[in-house]
Amino acid sequence: MLTEETLVQQLKEPDSRSKAFELLVNTYKQRLYWHIRRIVLDHDDADDVLQNAFIKVFKNIDGFKGDSKLYSWMYRIATNEALSFLRTKSKRLGLSDGALQDRMVESLQADVYFEGDAIQLKLQKAIATLPEKQKLIFNMKYFEELKYEEISEILETSVGGLKASYHLASKKIEAYLRQE
Amino acid sequence: MEEFDKKDGFRAPEGYFGDFTSKLMDKLSEEGPAFPKKEGFTVPEGYFDGLHNNIRGSLDARETKVVRLNRYRKYYFAAAAVAAVVLLFFGINGQGTQEPTFEDLANSDIDAYFERYELGLSTYEIAEVIPVDELEINDIVDHGLEEEHIMIYLEDNIEDFEELNLEIDE
Repeated sequence: MLTEETLVQQLKEPDSRSKAFELLVNTYKQRLYWHIRRIVLDHDDADDVLQNAFIKVFKNIDGFKGDSKLYSWMYRIATNEALSFLRTKSKRLGLSDGALQDRMVESLQADVYFEGDAIQLKLQKAIATLPEKQKLIFNMKYFEELKYEEISEILETSVGGLKASYHLASKKIEAYLRQE
Repeated sequence: MEEFDKKDGFRAPEGYFGDFTSKLMDKLSEEGPAFPKKEGFTVPEGYFDGLHNNIRGSLDARETKVVRLNRYRKYYFAAAAVAAVVLLFFGINGQGTQEPTFEDLANSDIDAYFERYELGLSTYEIAEVIPVDELEINDIVDHGLEEEHIMIYLEDNIEDFEELNLEIDE
């Protein structure tokens, strides 16, 4: 199996770039897709953001110095792309971040690519009430099952801070579900 | 009052406080939430299979295409370029057309631009490039603020208007 260093090296070489990029996309497409999808909720939006994220990775691979792991760097790009996509969307629609989150969750009921039941929809509503960072941490830990050390490298936050945020987020969601 | 020895004899295990925070955080995060792990999101069939080709297509579309010119084509393009320049010279000269300037932009276009695109500047960075000291209130407010209007506002809204002892130029 190809090591990460070799893959990065091949991505930087013009002759092997195309093949290495295909390997990179095929290795990370599902993980990054679900990470983005949990932020933007809609499939078409997730598809746009995912493609933009991979294009950014491709265009900026020469600037990747290897200070962090490749997947952390890609996750960071995907997260930033998804968040700035939402910011642009809320500006375009003239909505506050909270109002946009409400609208996104409401749209899930009519989304053909959401087959969740009432409980799963309620869970999404609860997640939508969390502050941006807590939401990211909760999704990455609970659904994506990333290790705290991995999340710490992606979000550049201390492990202790992540644990506290995750605990807070879980309690808020539990309280929301109990109250509803 | 009698002086007591402040030492009370209690002690904590070595390294206790060093590990305390991380132990507490571990304990907090061990308490698993009691809600479903399934989210209900799905994707169109075969979406992931075609993803690489879609990204490759988007990448190719964004990269500028370079068309190599054949030798004879150079002359066609040169002739067409000369003809275009002559036409432009006679067509535009005399009509007094000027290059568009910043003043030609409608305010709504400028507003729409700022609404749509992220500037990526903080308020401090914006303040650094805008000469705040040189700005007058009337540069920002659309309608000129006349002294008379200020007086009327103060008279209507201040209870003891006389106590302000304003010097009014008559």
